[in-house]
Amino acid sequence: MSSATFDDSVTGKVTGARSEPPRLATAETKVHRLKHPSWWVGGAAVLILIGTFLRLLFTNENMKWDVVGDYLFHGEILHGLWVTIKLTALAMVIGLGLGIVLAIMRLSKNPLFQSVSWLWIWFFRGVPPLVQMVFWFNLATLIPEVRLGIPFTDVVWHTWDMNSLMTSFAAAILGLALTESAYAAEMIRAGIMAVPRGQVEAAAALGIPGRKVMQRIVLPQALRIVIPPIGNDLISMLKFTSLVSVLATPDLLYSAQMIYSRNYQTIPLLIVATLWYLVLTTLFTVVQQSVERKVHHKPLLQVNRLGFNPFRSGKVVP
Amino acid sequence: MTWPLLKASNIHKAYGDNEVLKGVDLEVHKGEVQCVIGPSGSGKSTLLRCLNRLEVPDQGYVYLDGEPIGFGWVGDDLCELRPAALARQRERMGMVFQSFNLFGHLTALENVTLAPRLVNAEPERQVVARARELLARVGLADKADHRPDQLSGGQQQRVAIARALAMQPEVMLFDEPTSALDPELVGEVLGVMSELARDGMTMVIVTHEMSFAADVSDKVVFMDGGQVVEVGTPDQVFRHAQHARTASFLTRVL
Ligand SMILES: Nc1ncnc2c1ncn2[C@@H]1O[C@H](COP(=O)(O)OP(=O)(O)O)[C@@H](O)[C@H]1O
Ligand SMILES: [Mg+2]
Repeated sequence: MSSATFDDSVTGKVTGARSEPPRLATAETKVHRLKHPSWWVGGAAVLILIGTFLRLLFTNENMKWDVVGDYLFHGEILHGLWVTIKLTALAMVIGLGLGIVLAIMRLSKNPLFQSVSWLWIWFFRGVPPLVQMVFWFNLATLIPEVRLGIPFTDVVWHTWDMNSLMTSFAAAILGLALTESAYAAEMIRAGIMAVPRGQVEAAAALGIPGRKVMQRIVLPQALRIVIPPIGNDLISMLKFTSLVSVLATPDLLYSAQMIYSRNYQTIPLLIVATLWYLVLTTLFTVVQQSVERKVHHKPLLQVNRLGFNPFRSGKVVP
Repeated sequence: MTWPLLKASNIHKAYGDNEVLKGVDLEVHKGEVQCVIGPSGSGKSTLLRCLNRLEVPDQGYVYLDGEPIGFGWVGDDLCELRPAALARQRERMGMVFQSFNLFGHLTALENVTLAPRLVNAEPERQVVARARELLARVGLADKADHRPDQLSGGQQQRVAIARALAMQPEVMLFDEPTSALDPELVGEVLGVMSELARDGMTMVIVTHEMSFAADVSDKVVFMDGGQVVEVGTPDQVFRHAQHARTASFLTRVL
């Protein structure tokens, strides 16, 4: 083949129209693969950028890797790490629990349940968690006391002081969990709707009571479907917990801030926090993937039908 | 006259303005097999679903062994049953659906054992033993540990039959059990059903398989436009139809 024809193939002019008589390619035919010069140019540019970044990372005096090393396992930092893990886990568990209830309410036949759930989701998805946390923390100015008694009467059995009840930790948990509950509710609702209605009817026809149908047939399949998006939420939650530093809750970020406000080693301590966040995120991702692999079987393909955000559910679909 | 095991009287059901059942009566005696035939949209599925109250009839009552389904007598009044009590009545009627409706996250064996486990206070070992027996009876002893997505349509439907039988029902309701199957898989399911019929199970079968209906039925019920048009032995309905609507339906499908 002449080189002119070969260039045509590069510029896209080869259309498959044939002027020569047909012939077979043999083992001896020389084959020219498409070249990708941009691959090399782009690759070189990226390498240069990475090199610059690494040089900044390791030769810049202000990084102070020795300080990073000193504080990586510092008691205050480790305590902060523990608080961050606790916040993430608690907010996630409460959020998911509420989310399941909200999803079931949203799908119930009772219009009051439906609208309460709708309003809840609308509200807590709309108000930023940071705003909520500050609000919950200052709840005492609105409701100074919590009373246990019979509503609309003077009967009171016990009274709590809101200020001592609503610690910064509690306010943080509320802000995070309520936000998560709204997102979880929508995911779980989609999961529940993805379980074919016929299975519920089959269960009813077998005489399985409604609550058991939900517990043993619908929820197990719905939760399997929503594991990947919940995994994503867990990782988001981990990062959202850093908001609690505004309430002076000694989480990972706030602990780092406390230390650098004393010793002015701002960047190294932020790097310490960053490293720990990355460690946790990596851990969560590994766990998420192994759980996904364990529960992975064909029915998960149904995810496609429910109109989940494809970026969230994409991973499940083989 | 003895009371039929299953009796539906004057069942009416409408979806909005669409009157789907216009006063349907049905009587099925113990050990009888009745096939319900009729054009699509004539209300066959709705009737079957009214029998075990998956649909609530607007009017009329269904009686199982003389007991009104979904109600209890209190003196001379009928009181609607709580869901738990209705569930106990439903246990007594097995149902098999066109779309199998196996529980997707459970194996064949678990599909069969779930309801007895959740509903009956039976020892676990006995439940499992019976489930394995039932799977063997529908020819799927070797598929006990397969999930529905690893089974063919015919196998899934046979698991569904075993699942319904696990509750030891007095009546089996089948809603077009072979309509979703590839033609070569229809036989295995009809085979299992014929055997059930031979063993004396009381069955109500909605089907488009006319030769099967002619073979197994004690009675054939022809429905059209939300009404039972004709009831009779297979010979009466298939060969000596009394109504023009029956005859014209049969010429279309045979
Ligand atoms: N859940 C429902 N809501 C509204 N209309 C329905 C519903 N189920 C059935 N129908 C209507 O009732 C009629 C009879 O349906 P069906 O009982 O399924 O007929 P068949 O099983 O004989 O084909 C059809 O016109 C169908 O559209
Ligand atoms: Mg039908």
